[in-house]
Amino acid sequence: MIEINNLTYQYQVDAAKVLDNVSLSFKSGDWVSIIGHNGSGKSTLVKIMMGILEDYEGEILINGNKLTKENIANYREKFAIVFQNPDNQFVGATVEDDVAFGLENQGVAREEMVEKTEAALTAVNMLSYRRHAPARLSGGQKQRVAIAGALAMAPDVLILDEATSMLDPEGRKDILNILEDIHRERQTTLIYITHDLSEIEKSDYAVIMKDGEVLNRGSIEHIFSDTDTLIKSRLVLPYQMQISRALLKGEYVTHGELVEKL
Amino acid sequence: MLSNMLLGRYIPGNSFIHQMDPRAKIISVLFFMVIVFFANHWLGYLLLILFMLSVIKIAQINIFFLFNGLKLLFFILIFTFLLHIFFTRGGTTLFEWGFIQIDSEGVITGIYITIRLVMLLIITTILTLTTSPIELTDAIENLGAPLKKIKVPMHELAMMISISLRFIPTLMDETEKIIKAQSARGSTFMTGKLKSRVNALIPIFIPLFISAFKRAEEMAVAMEVRGYKGEEGRTSYRELKWGLKDTSAIVIIILFGVMLFLVRM
Repeated sequence: MIEINNLTYQYQVDAAKVLDNVSLSFKSGDWVSIIGHNGSGKSTLVKIMMGILEDYEGEILINGNKLTKENIANYREKFAIVFQNPDNQFVGATVEDDVAFGLENQGVAREEMVEKTEAALTAVNMLSYRRHAPARLSGGQKQRVAIAGALAMAPDVLILDEATSMLDPEGRKDILNILEDIHRERQTTLIYITHDLSEIEKSDYAVIMKDGEVLNRGSIEHIFSDTDTLIKSRLVLPYQMQISRALLKGEYVTHGELVEKL
Repeated sequence: MLSNMLLGRYIPGNSFIHQMDPRAKIISVLFFMVIVFFANHWLGYLLLILFMLSVIKIAQINIFFLFNGLKLLFFILIFTFLLHIFFTRGGTTLFEWGFIQIDSEGVITGIYITIRLVMLLIITTILTLTTSPIELTDAIENLGAPLKKIKVPMHELAMMISISLRFIPTLMDETEKIIKAQSARGSTFMTGKLKSRVNALIPIFIPLFISAFKRAEEMAVAMEVRGYKGEEGRTSYRELKWGLKDTSAIVIIILFGVMLFLVRM
């Protein structure tokens, strides 16, 4: 259980608040999507949760224990994050070296490390690429390796910070399917950050953010039913929602008019 | 052009040299660097060239590919050669014009020193071509372990070298992209006076530096969140295994050194 209470953050003293009194709670094992346009504060939120940013107001409780500078190292072993650009995350010269990096840092014995690395690469269908150089892989494959690197550490919480934004539609679908399998088989809590509403369908719970504030939260059905808030958050509505809204208004009687307006 | 550069590149393979323990490769290269200076006349240099050709053959590297990749460093060799031609005196005078004088000793020394430099460049390139950066790092850290006793941060140094080598191809690709982008907007880098060519490089270096710093920052964050906190409590995924082939390779290098020493005049 993660509880975020009254979190406020600004990068500089005289700058605007990137997060303004944000309070949220996530249940263990949930797939939570945090959606918002650029600058809405969603990435800042996870950076604070990972201990990358400090000096914030408010508190973060993990299973009832307050996150502090002193205990962040212990929680990092339970949290894993995958960033937007996989090229800037690879430390290892080969796929397996990179996946094992986190385990090396945890001081895991070699035999166990080999097992965990293989299992993580199998989970993302990349075992046959284990000896390849990460730089020579496609964008989707690179991101799968980055996910394997996070999975190998057997995290309780896996955070994906716009991890699919550099991929083509096929690559995105592929990553979402892999995440669905991981979520189902390992019961890992997923925190999925995106600005694309079409990617949140598989989530259990979603949070809409705008300018550092939480605009809406709840089940996917609840989020999609409140179209006015979605429009207010400046997010692009999925295609089917745009059609549905246009049809409901009943203003376009011919196909040509509807297409033109859409 | 930049994509042909071999410095810091690793080409996977299964040759005898690829399979050697990286520590044995580094020790062999260090021995070879000393041995090169044993050669002091044509027979010694001939043996060096034959030895090097054998190493290239054993490493299964295409010799034309190797020389093509070293082309960018040829200006250093030419500069060294010219330096000796114009400033080494001795033997018979071959050419004299005003203050310029070329002696036979200068030409011979120039050729010999250039051969030595080529040998050193090739052997170090073969080391990086046949050894992955991570293996090199492991070997450097392992061989430098005694220095940890005098507080030399060997692990941190090895990690820095490894990441630098890993980023060389990435930054090369990035440089090419920036050159193409700037060329598309009308910048020229290969024509004009030296001053304008140097000025034309500024729009390449500024975005390259900005991007490199951004990458470095993201990499540092990614390493930190994956639990990296230096050497303490760390284990290693890779195992270094010293075998018979490694001992044999070092013995061969030493025997070759002895042979070169014996043919000295």
